[in-house]
Amino acid sequence: MLNLILNFVNACRASDLRVSTAEVIDCARHLEMVDVLDEAQFRSALRANFAKSRREQTEFDRLYGLFFHDMRPDVELDADCDPENTDKADMRHTIGQMRQEAGDDEITQAIMDFLAGDPIPYLRQIHRLETQTEESSQALKSNLSQLSSRLEVMLRINRTRNRLLQLMPDPISGGAPGRNRGMAGLLMERLETANRMLTQETRPNNDALKQVNAYEKKTLGIGERPFSNLTETEIIKMRSVIDQLVRKMKDIMSRRYAVRNRGALDVKKTLRAAQRYQGVPIEIVFRQRPLRKTRVVTLCDVSGSVWSAARFMLNMIYSMQDCFSDVKSFAFVAGPTNITDIFEKHDVNQAIEKVITDADINFNTHTDYGEMLTQFHRDHLNLLTQKTTLIIVGDARTNYQNPCEHLLDDMRARCRRVIWLNPEPEQFWGTGDSEMNTYKAYCHEVRPCRNLNQLANFIEDIVF
Amino acid sequence: MPGPHTGFTSVEDVQKKLESVDYIPSREIATVVFLAAATQKPILVEGPAGAGKTELARAISRCLNLRKIRLQCYEGLDEAKSLYEWEYAKQLLYTQMIKEKINQLIATADTIAEAVEKIAQQENAFFSERFLLARPLLQAITSDEQVVLLIDEIDKSDPEFEAFLLELLSDFQVSIPELGIWKAKHIPIVVLTSNNYRDISDALKRRCIHLYIDYPKKDLEKRIVKLKIPNIEERLADQLVNAIGNIRSLDLKKRPCISETIDWAKALMVLQINDLSPQALSDTLNVICKYQADTVMVRESMDKVLK
Ligand SMILES: Nc1ncnc2c1ncn2[C@@H]1O[C@H](COP(=O)(O)OP(=O)(O)O)[C@@H](O)[C@H]1O
Ligand SMILES: [Mg+2]
Repeated sequence: MLNLILNFVNACRASDLRVSTAEVIDCARHLEMVDVLDEAQFRSALRANFAKSRREQTEFDRLYGLFFHDMRPDVELDADCDPENTDKADMRHTIGQMRQEAGDDEITQAIMDFLAGDPIPYLRQIHRLETQTEESSQALKSNLSQLSSRLEVMLRINRTRNRLLQLMPDPISGGAPGRNRGMAGLLMERLETANRMLTQETRPNNDALKQVNAYEKKTLGIGERPFSNLTETEIIKMRSVIDQLVRKMKDIMSRRYAVRNRGALDVKKTLRAAQRYQGVPIEIVFRQRPLRKTRVVTLCDVSGSVWSAARFMLNMIYSMQDCFSDVKSFAFVAGPTNITDIFEKHDVNQAIEKVITDADINFNTHTDYGEMLTQFHRDHLNLLTQKTTLIIVGDARTNYQNPCEHLLDDMRARCRRVIWLNPEPEQFWGTGDSEMNTYKAYCHEVRPCRNLNQLANFIEDIVF
Repeated sequence: MPGPHTGFTSVEDVQKKLESVDYIPSREIATVVFLAAATQKPILVEGPAGAGKTELARAISRCLNLRKIRLQCYEGLDEAKSLYEWEYAKQLLYTQMIKEKINQLIATADTIAEAVEKIAQQENAFFSERFLLARPLLQAITSDEQVVLLIDEIDKSDPEFEAFLLELLSDFQVSIPELGIWKAKHIPIVVLTSNNYRDISDALKRRCIHLYIDYPKKDLEKRIVKLKIPNIEERLADQLVNAIGNIRSLDLKKRPCISETIDWAKALMVLQINDLSPQALSDTLNVICKYQADTVMVRESMDKVLK
């Protein structure tokens, strides 16, 4: 039993589901207390110890199904060498032969391990494939390399299938009845499982995602016009409405500060005040609590496809720098550029102008979210802490390049919250080159944000 | 410290005891509760609002006859509000009331230093339990009986508080500088809940055993409905639970939870509706949908809902 669990733990680890030794020990202890023949109990004991959040449960369920159902660990091929069981011996021989033919081809060897009942090397291959980033050859970038690696594996599975059919009697209708058929069938089943795993969806379950679609239509007319359709005069009018909004936001922040900063009793001041009343502490003085440290990091797409909206988003980001104690702002087309300084030194319109003209942003390239995440992850990860709210503004249109969503997953793990504002209406998410549905799985909150009312609603939500 | 005397003897026993206090657990819930209690591990319960997380902790306390102590988390919650605080105002008041006594005490002192020394000797009187305001966590630790400690909505607290809590849950002792170290007489049964506003730290997750409570499956929800409204007709209960399940699968702003199912059932009973027709659904929709947009969406998907 313990061995079975340890093998399962190794499979979890090969797929990057982190399980600590302490958790394995807890689980072993727990299994002694339940009826392991009742699968509900057995599975619950494993899941409660190995998947410690809803998000990890998806991966756990997938591995559990693979390991305890698809692989049928009760049918061990490599285990005891029972000379009577010619069936098993034959299969071992077949696998051995294919192993030799494969030589040092790592992927085929992993498939052989999988057929023999050990899914771990194959799981590792798949995990590597999923977290693969592009070799940065600027010229030839696409997410093709991920697709082609997948194809490589698929081709090897096909080759294995053909070879198996040559080496074994027909696994379905069976050769000599009773002989080989059971085991051959098992091998084919396992091969199909391996094939299925290649194309399976592995996004974490994110049903705690807050998706805000409805909003209050406060300002009719201009408030409902998409940013992308505004005329010049409307843009000017819009600016003043946003100004009002920002003033209100600052107001709320300072008022909240006044209520919130009541801290513990200040004994010294209380005693001093008490002297005025013959030492009776009538007036109790409290210490001021320091301003809550909300850190905000914003990443704003300023590429052509979203530029009309980005202008207003930058406006909002600019005012956030005033309202929160610590805001770091980045703009990107491909790599992220830090624009915090520009925002601090200039007034709003000048600052936005400068972002377009002076800041070191390469506007002559294609939007590349994967590249932006890769660079941010490499250079600025230390900005993300348990107090950081990360706000990403953009349409998630990647020009069919690798979205590198595992990097966003990693960033999420370091922040308090990840919020994505998308200037496209929801019905376009996931169409064409939009990877919004991919990224959504790694956010705490997503919302369409394409007009003033939606922006105003978001700002109110974040300051309250 | 006495060993784990948990009151549950098996998974089935948990199931039976919880049901006896009107909480109907799934097999998974019963298993996790049993294991947590038997090995004294805190349970971290996640799940959508209204799925029965808080109620689970209450039910455990009811069925084991243990006192429940609840700590509601919020942004800014700190040690003073969760563990203990000195009651300065009370201390000051006492110094005033016994001023005379203090004057006597220092009357014989020749120097200020001597006076201070004399007062310092009495310090214990002021930093004693009398002036200590015990907050939920300290109450749970100092309790003479085992308690159920419910730490509700941990995802609303700050990371600092989470770190502090982790330490407390590791050794169940607190050190109060003026009074020394207090160790729990009984390890409480700890239930932490989270609505996943933010992710919980890995360290805290490792300390706990995890449980996700989803909206219940149809048969379970039907049993809950029949438990709360015993005289509901079988057919109506089926229709109701079926419709609620379908409504939850719509893309709503707020999906209806178990208490809304129950409220809805009650409303239908009061209105003496015993068949869930489109008209009946439409008339009572405000019980299940809190937002206008949601009401509209359900109305538009009537066929799907009543399927
Ligand atoms: N398994 C259950 N058995 C009986 N009643 C339940 C069950 N789950 C939930 N309820 C009912 O649903 C209500 C809401 O549950 P609650 O614990 O407040 O939700 P949460 O804390 O998850 O937001 C409870 O008051 C209870 O009446
Ligand atoms: Mg609750």
